[in-house]
Amino acid sequence: MPASDPAPARLTVALLGNPNTGKSTLFSALAGIPTRVGNYPGVTVEEKLGRFTYRGSEIELVDLPGTYSLTPQGPDEQVAVDVLHGRQPGVPRPDAVVIVADATNLERNLFLATQATELGLPLVVALTLTDVGRRRGRAIDSAELARRLGCPVIPVATPRGEGLTDLKDAILGTPTAGPPRPLPLPADPAHAHRPAAARTAIARYAAIERLLAGITSQIRPANQLPEDTIDRLLTHPLWGTLAFTAVMLAVFSSIFWLAAPLMDLISTGMDGLSAWVAARLPDGAIRELLVDGVLAGVGGVVVFVPQIAILFLFIAALEGCGYLARAAYLMDRLLVGVGLSGKSFIPLLSSFACAIPGIMAARTIENRRDRLLTILVAPLMSCSARLPVYLLLAGAFVPDVAVGVSWLRLPAVVLAGMYALGVAVAAAVAWLLSRTLFRGPPQPFVMELPGWRWPQAAVVLERAREAVWSFLQNAGTLILAVSVVVWALSNYPRDEVAIAADAEAALATGEPEADVESARRAAIQRGSILGRAGKFVEPVVRPLGWDWRLGCAAIASFPAREVVLGTLAVLYNLPPEEAEGTALERRLKAARWDGTDRPVFTLPVALSIMVFFALCAQCASTLVVIGRETQSWVWPVVTFTYMTVLAWIAAFATFQFATSMGW
Amino acid sequence: MPAPSASLDTIAVGNAARVLDIAGDDAVAIRLLEMGLTPGVGLRVLGRAPFGDPLELELRGYRLSIRRAEALRVAVEPA
Repeated sequence: MPASDPAPARLTVALLGNPNTGKSTLFSALAGIPTRVGNYPGVTVEEKLGRFTYRGSEIELVDLPGTYSLTPQGPDEQVAVDVLHGRQPGVPRPDAVVIVADATNLERNLFLATQATELGLPLVVALTLTDVGRRRGRAIDSAELARRLGCPVIPVATPRGEGLTDLKDAILGTPTAGPPRPLPLPADPAHAHRPAAARTAIARYAAIERLLAGITSQIRPANQLPEDTIDRLLTHPLWGTLAFTAVMLAVFSSIFWLAAPLMDLISTGMDGLSAWVAARLPDGAIRELLVDGVLAGVGGVVVFVPQIAILFLFIAALEGCGYLARAAYLMDRLLVGVGLSGKSFIPLLSSFACAIPGIMAARTIENRRDRLLTILVAPLMSCSARLPVYLLLAGAFVPDVAVGVSWLRLPAVVLAGMYALGVAVAAAVAWLLSRTLFRGPPQPFVMELPGWRWPQAAVVLERAREAVWSFLQNAGTLILAVSVVVWALSNYPRDEVAIAADAEAALATGEPEADVESARRAAIQRGSILGRAGKFVEPVVRPLGWDWRLGCAAIASFPAREVVLGTLAVLYNLPPEEAEGTALERRLKAARWDGTDRPVFTLPVALSIMVFFALCAQCASTLVVIGRETQSWVWPVVTFTYMTVLAWIAAFATFQFATSMGW
Repeated sequence: MPAPSASLDTIAVGNAARVLDIAGDDAVAIRLLEMGLTPGVGLRVLGRAPFGDPLELELRGYRLSIRRAEALRVAVEPA
């Protein structure tokens, strides 16, 4: 090694750029898998750090949120500005800034770059998508641009790794190169009456036009390349909408059906593991805690992974090729009427499979207000966990008669009605919230429709991996804790004498499927804190037509809605495995109010339960994810409260109406 | 003499125009200017989403979508 080589150094370098410039691709190409991914404290802005070594120097890469401007208008810009000024706790002030600029869109990208010249930090401009630019007939004299800007300008083509070595060399050279001079902004007296920010923006574009004069060839206008034709078709009011419907059907059926076998595999695996552990431990509290509490809880967390992974693979691919913005463009009008935006569509659609990936998908909504509103109403979409409840109750208690035509049966209509109810209530809630709690100055909807390009496999996979990992790490642990606590509450305290007596009494009634073990389980649950709570809340649920067992099952289903059937099975002295079988259906039909021969489950009660479960927030995992995604405990509490109140009111109205109609 | 001015919302799909002014000085106006809709810039209306809102524009070599509410604040002259 030559003796003149500089001593190994450590550099912190910030990656700054507009959205859709290939910044993530460049990050992966430079640093590989990030060393840290999370949120900046207190805000929902993603923090992403990476590291690489080049020529003996260790370079820490800080990926700043994609932003159009350094004028702080929202939390993204604020975080970017704070990091660049060394005001962001936990992140060292960068030694240099790499501006990622899209060569096909240089004027607007240089807006941010010229703002960065005012930071007093050494800069390197990485010119991405130069290959796309060339196809559009744009040639850029990058050497002359570098001279005029006063900092290195390196064309890179990340998929092929072109220019990466030059870029790394330029980064290493920044300590000696020093910061460039700020670009002088011409003052135009014609705009003197405007506010400073507007004057600066106008002057900046004038300066950029002068900066680029003579060193770039004009970009070819639209409608000349094949992707322009594709763009016209995919944003066409009719063809675009049809294509959109097809894409959404594909996405939705994938998270619904493609994930199902994987989820079954996880369930089977967890069952096997539980059986294995159970066989190796002596009977007792430890075994129950491990098997029914911890392992069941772990299974309940891991089971979400396939849906999250599949949805984020789709989202990253659609975002990478530029379709996500077009989808938002097409759907915007439909959603803006209820106070949401076009970007809310995919998160809400995904929530029909499961609210958890749906709420996480709301990360693609840049606008904070729209994002929060979307998160708040997403759990109202009927997720797949509600389906077994609907199916059992509609199948057992809704008369199987034709509605109009012979193939349209009433249970199917009721089922569809439950889905429609969720959508209608979500629209009403979003509309109401956007006009009350979330009222404010009009939010700019200014959305770039990025150029069409092939999504990068590395970026797509990284996005899915990141989503799964952040779910397991942040939400998973808490969901596990909640399910263990609820398990304990539904199994303790245990008064063995009372349990034995209770179980014996239940067996004495001679119910056909009851066995000693099931009766004991039921007795434990009845005597537990949750069981007693069920009796305690009976006055609250009685107006809904429910008995204490139903109240108890509703409370016990807090960890996850699907638990409700298992709880009902246990409460009716059935083994929980019978939850989806006909035995439970028969038992529910046979259930009577304590001490009478009046059946508990009638059509009004079944409808009231379905409506309650359509609207309630009985899903601890969803609430935990809302807390993590919004970085606040206020929003899960708000969500739980408003949904529970709505669910109660709607169930009450349903029961009273159905009863008064004599159904 | 002032140029014959119209709002961007009135420009038919496929037609070009030149920006004259952005009304207002709030965050929306600043954001529109920062995205390159500065006085003097040429643009073209590429399309409209279903129900006519939002609009797809082409300016400064890229594509931008803005809602009608924003387009109403952009004064243009047909070009």
